Amino acid sequence: MKSTSPQLSVNIEQRTFGWIDILLMSILLMVFWTVLHFGKGMLVHFDETVVLQIDSSPYQIPYYAGRTLLRMWIAFGFSLFFAIAVGYAAAKNKAARAVILPALDILQSVPVLGFLSATVVGFMALFPGSLLGVECAAIFAIFTGQVWNMAFGFYHSLVTIPNDMQEAATTYGLTPWQRFKTVELPASAHSLIWNSMMSFGGGWFFVAQSEAISVMNKDIKLPGLGSYMATAIDGADYSAAIWAVLAMIFLIVISDQLVWRTLLAWADKFKIELTESTTPPTSWVYEILKGAYVFTWIHERIFQPLGDYLFKFGSAIPSVQSSRFSQKHMKYFWHIILLIAFIWVADEIFSLLVEAIQIMHGALSLGLVLHILWLGFLTLLRVIAMTVLATLIWTPIGVWIGFQPKIARIAQPLAQIGASFPVNMTFPIVVGVFVAFNIPMNWGSIFLIAMGTQWYILFNVIAGAMAIPNDLKEAAQIYGLKNWNLWKTMILPAIFPFWVTGACTAAGGAWNASIVAELATWGDTTLKADGLGAYIADVTKSGDSPLIVLSIAIMSLFVVLMNKFLWRKLYAFAEKRFKLD
Amino acid sequence: MDQENIIQPVAELNAVSKSFKTAGGHELKVLENIDLTVNQGELLALLGQSGSGKSTILRCLTGLVEPTSGRVLANGKTLDGVNKNASVVFQTFALYPWLTVEQNVAVGLMAHQIPRQERDTLVDKAIELIGLGNYHAAYPRELSGGMRQRVGIARALVSQPQLLCLDEAFSALDVLTAENLRQELISLWRSKENGLSSIFMVTHNIEEAVEMANRIVVVFPRPGRLGLVLENPLPYPRDTKSPEFQRLVSIIHDSITSQTLPDLPPEVPIVGQAISRSRSRMESIPFVPVGQILGLISILNDSPELSNIYDISDEIGKEFGDTISIVKAAEILELVDTPKQDVYLTELGRKFVNSDRIGRKAIFSEQVFKLRLFHIIIALLKENEEIDAEMVIKDIASALPYDNPEKIFQTMIAWGRYAGLMDINSKTNMVFVPEIESEDI
Repeated sequence: MKSTSPQLSVNIEQRTFGWIDILLMSILLMVFWTVLHFGKGMLVHFDETVVLQIDSSPYQIPYYAGRTLLRMWIAFGFSLFFAIAVGYAAAKNKAARAVILPALDILQSVPVLGFLSATVVGFMALFPGSLLGVECAAIFAIFTGQVWNMAFGFYHSLVTIPNDMQEAATTYGLTPWQRFKTVELPASAHSLIWNSMMSFGGGWFFVAQSEAISVMNKDIKLPGLGSYMATAIDGADYSAAIWAVLAMIFLIVISDQLVWRTLLAWADKFKIELTESTTPPTSWVYEILKGAYVFTWIHERIFQPLGDYLFKFGSAIPSVQSSRFSQKHMKYFWHIILLIAFIWVADEIFSLLVEAIQIMHGALSLGLVLHILWLGFLTLLRVIAMTVLATLIWTPIGVWIGFQPKIARIAQPLAQIGASFPVNMTFPIVVGVFVAFNIPMNWGSIFLIAMGTQWYILFNVIAGAMAIPNDLKEAAQIYGLKNWNLWKTMILPAIFPFWVTGACTAAGGAWNASIVAELATWGDTTLKADGLGAYIADVTKSGDSPLIVLSIAIMSLFVVLMNKFLWRKLYAFAEKRFKLD
Repeated sequence: MDQENIIQPVAELNAVSKSFKTAGGHELKVLENIDLTVNQGELLALLGQSGSGKSTILRCLTGLVEPTSGRVLANGKTLDGVNKNASVVFQTFALYPWLTVEQNVAVGLMAHQIPRQERDTLVDKAIELIGLGNYHAAYPRELSGGMRQRVGIARALVSQPQLLCLDEAFSALDVLTAENLRQELISLWRSKENGLSSIFMVTHNIEEAVEMANRIVVVFPRPGRLGLVLENPLPYPRDTKSPEFQRLVSIIHDSITSQTLPDLPPEVPIVGQAISRSRSRMESIPFVPVGQILGLISILNDSPELSNIYDISDEIGKEFGDTISIVKAAEILELVDTPKQDVYLTELGRKFVNSDRIGRKAIFSEQVFKLRLFHIIIALLKENEEIDAEMVIKDIASALPYDNPEKIFQTMIAWGRYAGLMDINSKTNMVFVPEIESEDI
């Protein structure tokens, strides 16, 4: 039977190598060489008694930036792997889900500095006499800043895959692996890449903290941009600080343009809707890469023959009939593995708890606990103030931007870059301004917290305003809705769900940021606010274990409670009342 | 293998029942005691209204859903997991948007251990067969609905399944595209090329079933159970206008009508109580909005010549199953009477349609008040100022175990609201009696 529909023009792939392939290959080789070069630096000998010197010459910045970038990508690689594994387990297994989801919830609320303090000694013991131990601790700290959110995101996109797609995979008898690569991974790709981009952006924020390790009475500066900045701050070196800021912005923009925009443009085809996007994301790198033949070549000349070979190899071995019997055995096998893993994790947690209690025992008084709670309350006020202020300022601006698609296309990535930019890089200016104008740090720190987190509110509001359907806008025009009526009837309800997402992310980030933002140093000048963040920064520096455990536990408690009693409720309310579908 | 004269069952359901949990956590019996056989070489259509459980039957038959009780057989053996010899074409196509046409079709062969070249050949063949020749590298989002469903069919046929299942495969398509695709599929099945021999299709469209199938089984809802079984010996290609075709359609119509709108013997009046058929026993109500009942009544009033239920269905442009539900709702409220296949306004219905807004409301309220189902709420509202919706739903669930209590509740609130008997506060989820609005509005 012949189709009567009009012919569809399909782009014919390029079948020859062009200059773009040559360029691409040389870039890949260069990246490979660079990774090896920077990687070598991780394995050098390290003696704790000798302080690593950071060279404040701007010519060293490319090397430091490279080291930082490598660290970020290694941490991201682990995060991706972990997020996929854990998200998959949570989505597929009921028992695993019951453990994983609450665990992620709590881990997400623990500040990055907490993980760093808890693990740095252990990692250093793991690789005695080598810098690798410290590298591992830093990478682990960055990892903990990225991974929980990604794991949640992956889990969520797995469980929201349309039922018919899963059923089709079941009818056609796909194995779990086939199902994963044909259905589940592609269906989650878009959200996974988006989440990765946000988490990676968040990772920059902690680079300074995790490279210039000043916890547990140690003062180690790993070669990297964060340490370079820390050195500049210690020495009140303005020119070095400015170089570091420029380098940081360059790294963030380059990562965004070369990697994340490219991936987002590519991932547009993984959206689940069957309609074409009206404004698909664009990326100049992706446009160039599309012209490359080398990917097709690799697929056809390497992967396909390899697959065929494996297939022949596989069918040469008499295949084991996957009878019900062996399936049951596999199931038991997995159950036992899971059980062992579970017991191990439970045991670890239990022994940690016992250890924590032993440390705490006798070291703490009720007064101290109340004092830390009070400090937590002060920081809570700051977080709330930041959220309210940022909302009041950025909502009108965000809506205005969102209504002008041309501006929004530029402003949204800028806001993302703002969110990635580490707060302590602004200290040279901030401390100067605060001292000059006599601004008390108790108030000033609100501004510093906002520097790191307000952007989440901005770009979510922009996204919300952009998502208002045209017919609603037209209806508002026809009925002459203006000013407050327009805001009350259309704009605020429509952007509310987006605002909740943004404000929740901002508030969550604000707790973490308070550790950096309540204690600003520039040379000999130190400004300190009364708050839990500054307290944690203090106790982790001196390595006072009982206080570290207590203060971090209290901060986590604040975050968890706020999530449970404020943000969850708001999410549910937004979902029920204001969802535009 | 082919013993053409001996009837060979390809897939069977033996006394299959299935219960689900509704969103509100209530146990809902969807299927009860289903016995169904799909034989080698036949095109069997399962016909039923939406919510009758016909899709669940398909999912049990293919192993996608495990029945609560009963046995599923494939080629005479108990089915373990998914039936590997069956494939499904979905109403929503269920294509993977990130795969090209070719790759989507190849998914149908993933479970089969065959070398790449051979697989490519089979995929090409299926794509050509289903008329997608120039679309190998296109993505689903670039195709029209009809072309998408062709991809779905090619994917289902590529592995040459013993049994092809169609789950409302044509209902998301426009009329012309659907008709075109039906004809192509029938000729594929009749040609017996490509190994396609048995088809099991699920549909709510009576004419579609009569046009395609050589055996038709009607399934009735709440809980899903099989009714009329009909052999369809009409020769292919079938002329939908021919009298034989129309006769089969009307047999099915009659069967559905008499099952849904039975002509009950008049009840013996009880002294001191209004005579009401619906009052004497707890009866479910169809999920029909008030507006549609009003629409039906006013159409019947405006066109007195209109009485046959099929003509009404045509006139209001609704599926037959939906029309039946609306008529049933009006009948429960005693606004219409339904002797045999006809629908007439009752005295009350005539009075209703000629009343003003307040008068209509009064009649509606009175009629709703007679329904025993509503007394669950009314009795509670007499004692309490407001009642928790959850509690009401629980009571409905125990009174009508085969119905979806949430949906019944929503319909009741919609009717009760129009009648001015009850309303719900969506914030607190409490049912209350609304204040009587001033009459002069």
